[in-house]
Formats: sequence, C-alpha cells, structure tokens
Amino acid sequence: MPAPLPAVGELWTWTVQRFAPKSPPYVPPPAGFRPFALGYVELPDGVRVAAVLDVEDLTSIRIGMPLRVEATGGVPHAVPVRLS
Amino acid sequence: MTADVVIAGAGLSPFGRTDHLTGRQHALHAVHAALADAGLPWSRVGAAFGGSDAAGLADTLVTELGLTGLPFVNVKNGCATGGSALVSAVNAIRAGMAEVVLAVGFDKHPRGAFDPRPADWGLDEAYGRDGLMVTTQFFGMKIQRYMHEYGISARTLALVAEKAYRNGSRNPNAWRRTPISAAEILDSGLVNDPLTRYMFCSPGEGAAALVLCAASVAGGSGAAPVALRSAVVRSRRAGSFEVFSPRIDGGALTSVSRDAAGAAFEAAGLGPADVDVCQLQDTESGAEVMHMAECGFCADGEQEKLIADGATEIGGALPVNTDGGCIANGEPIGASGLRQVYEVVQQLRGRAGERQVPGAPRVGFTHVYGAPGVSACTVLSR
Repeated sequence: MPAPLPAVGELWTWTVQRFAPKSPPYVPPPAGFRPFALGYVELPDGVRVAAVLDVEDLTSIRIGMPLRVEATGGVPHAVPVRLS
Repeated sequence: MTADVVIAGAGLSPFGRTDHLTGRQHALHAVHAALADAGLPWSRVGAAFGGSDAAGLADTLVTELGLTGLPFVNVKNGCATGGSALVSAVNAIRAGMAEVVLAVGFDKHPRGAFDPRPADWGLDEAYGRDGLMVTTQFFGMKIQRYMHEYGISARTLALVAEKAYRNGSRNPNAWRRTPISAAEILDSGLVNDPLTRYMFCSPGEGAAALVLCAASVAGGSGAAPVALRSAVVRSRRAGSFEVFSPRIDGGALTSVSRDAAGAAFEAAGLGPADVDVCQLQDTESGAEVMHMAECGFCADGEQEKLIADGATEIGGALPVNTDGGCIANGEPIGASGLRQVYEVVQQLRGRAGERQVPGAPRVGFTHVYGAPGVSACTVLSR
C-alpha cells in the first residue's frame, strides 16, 4: 500500500475535458457527460498528483488555488479549500 | 557519429484521410518514391527497418516490394517509430550489415482522439473509466503551466497554428491546405483549455520512407545525397511530465526532448545556432512553443516575442515546421518522424518549391516527442 498523501496542496496546472472521451474505457455518469476539470495538485513535499477537480464553476479555476486531495475508489479527487 | 551515412532518397505518400488506401498501400507508395529518388532498385536494399502504430507490420511489404530475402525488422515505438527505424538503419550501415538500408514509417488511424487502454500503460482501470485516458489533456495541462510560468499568450498559440495552415497551403502533399486566421483559430472552441480545436493536429494517414547508404556508395543516378549527421532516440528520465502520469516528482522538470536534442547536437558536432531549418513535434500549438526551448533554440519565454516577430516563419531567422507540421499534415504516428526528415531533405536540396527557405539552408534538425516519454532527433547537413 502506498503511504497516505498529505491532504492539502496547491493547483499546479489544470485543463477542462470539453468533449466526451471515447467509451470504452470511459464510463459517463448516469446523467450523461458534462465537461469536467482535472489537474495536478502540488503537495507540500513537492510531488504533483493527478486528480479530478470537483469545482462548481469551471471559470473559477486558478493555478495556485488551495485544494484538498481525497482518495476515492479510483482516480483521486481534489476539492477547493475554503479559506476562513 | 560522423557524417558517414547519407540519405540517398526520400519519399512520401499523400497525407490526409482516404477511404480507399490502406496503411500498407501508403507505405508502398512512399518506398517506391524513395527508391526512385535515390535512383536505386529494391534489389540493392540490403536491410530494412520500419513500422506503424496501428496499420500493420512493415515486414509484410516484401510481398509487393520483392522477395529478395533481406532482413526486415519491425519497429513499434510510438511517436518514435520512424526515428527508431532510422537509428537502426544508421547502425546497420555503420556495423557493415548492409550498404543500402530502408527506413519506413506509416499509419492509418480512425477519426477522433486516440483511445488507449489503461492496462496497456500499466495504469489502474479507473483512469480510463473516469475519463483521464485522453492524450489531449496532457498537452493542455503542460502548456497551461508553461504559459503561467513564462508569459506565453493564447494569441501566440493561435499564431503557431496560423503558420501551420499557411505553410500547409504551400505544400501540395499536406492534408490541411486552407489558411485559417489566428482569430478563427482562437474562436474554434476549446478542446482542452487553453487549446482550441484548430490548434490540434488530427490522427490521420500517410507514410514516409528513406533510403540510406554509406557515403562511399552514394552518387548514383539519384538526387544529391544529404548527410545524416546524427540520429538519436531517448526515453524519459525521472522527474519528467508525460502523457498519462498519475504523479510527477517534485522539483524542476526533466525533458526527454531536451535530452534527445542535446545528444543529437553533440553527436553531430553542431549546435542549435547552426540550424537553418527545423521540424519540431507540434501535436498542438503549445508543443511547438515549448519544444523550441526544450530543443535549445531559445530560452523559456522568448517564444512570445520570436513568434510575434515572425522568426519561425519560412522567411524568418529560424523557420519551424515549413511543411505545415502535424497540424497541417495530420498525425499518422508511425510516419511523422520520417516526414520531418523528408522535409528537411527537400529544404537542403533546394527543392521545397513554394515553401523553400531562402538563402540555401545548409543544416536542418528534426524532433518528435510522444507517449510515454520518448523523443527522437536528427541533425542533417549538405
């Protein structure tokens, strides 16, 4: 088993998947394909991890924004961290 | 490597997309053209290396070319298929295996983005299921970071594609021969931010072939030979950023293109400043921008001004992708690397027609890059 990741980092780069990937292998969500964001999150130790970005507004994505990386059953997901 | 190997002949098939031609038929077209260019019959070829990514085995071409009994090695090395065939051909000549050697690359792909399977790349099935096995995402993310770090604008990406279509319009063998304005390119719809539809090449079909020989053998009835000063293939080192990377190591990025280009220049005894015309992997506009720096032609960030000033145009200080590159010719994976060499051969011979670089160029350079982190480069001179 790989060691658990430090959870919070900064967005290093990103893109938006604007077209439906070919199926197979892609399995679209039940409601159908919608454009989604993905990127690499740079963690405090410097490693950059590929993740799907769970952001509501695709125009709000910025390099450097803080994100929490969460393990899932498959590809890691990253969620914006609300700075209080 | 010394200049003891020359390219005696170079041939292409028509690039684009057809309903009636197979990848093998493209390959036969290119091989016959290369032999005619060299003024040599197939019976003189003593060894052959070639391949495709998705259009069959090169060694089956002997059915049509002639059953002479020669050794014919299949190469399957992604975007470096042509480059790897070329390196093998050079080594065969230098080792005394044969005096005249063929290198051939060809392909024919279906429409749309490539759809690789995660297991073939050693990745968890989730990367495919969740929509991350898409090569175009990588190109979007690499140039996104590069623009952030070095101040490259979206307009520069559009200018690169505009040049590709303009050069393609001057190339009778190109697929995309209609000029498209930078404004239209910017407005063609995002595929993977910040890259738009017309900034990308499309998978297509085509073939390229080279006849190589020892310099002492050249000089028959064919066209003037061009010296192959070096041909190098490299795979990635630790710390690189590649297609389908679940993670990237910390620290400064390494670059397989930088490694391969540096090794090719060292072996040739020449440097980027000596190059009069070059062909750089342009899977999309951003790749051409970044590869200018990775191959040593400028510092990171200088591209913004160089491209705006027209330096990479056919009449500029460093003409890049004079035949329209992958953007105008499409990407038949097995063929693109040797297409680049074909183009440099035409330029150095002064036979590039409407797209000829002025001033009688003497030194050319070619570069391909592809998954999973492989690059092939050549240096040529006359």
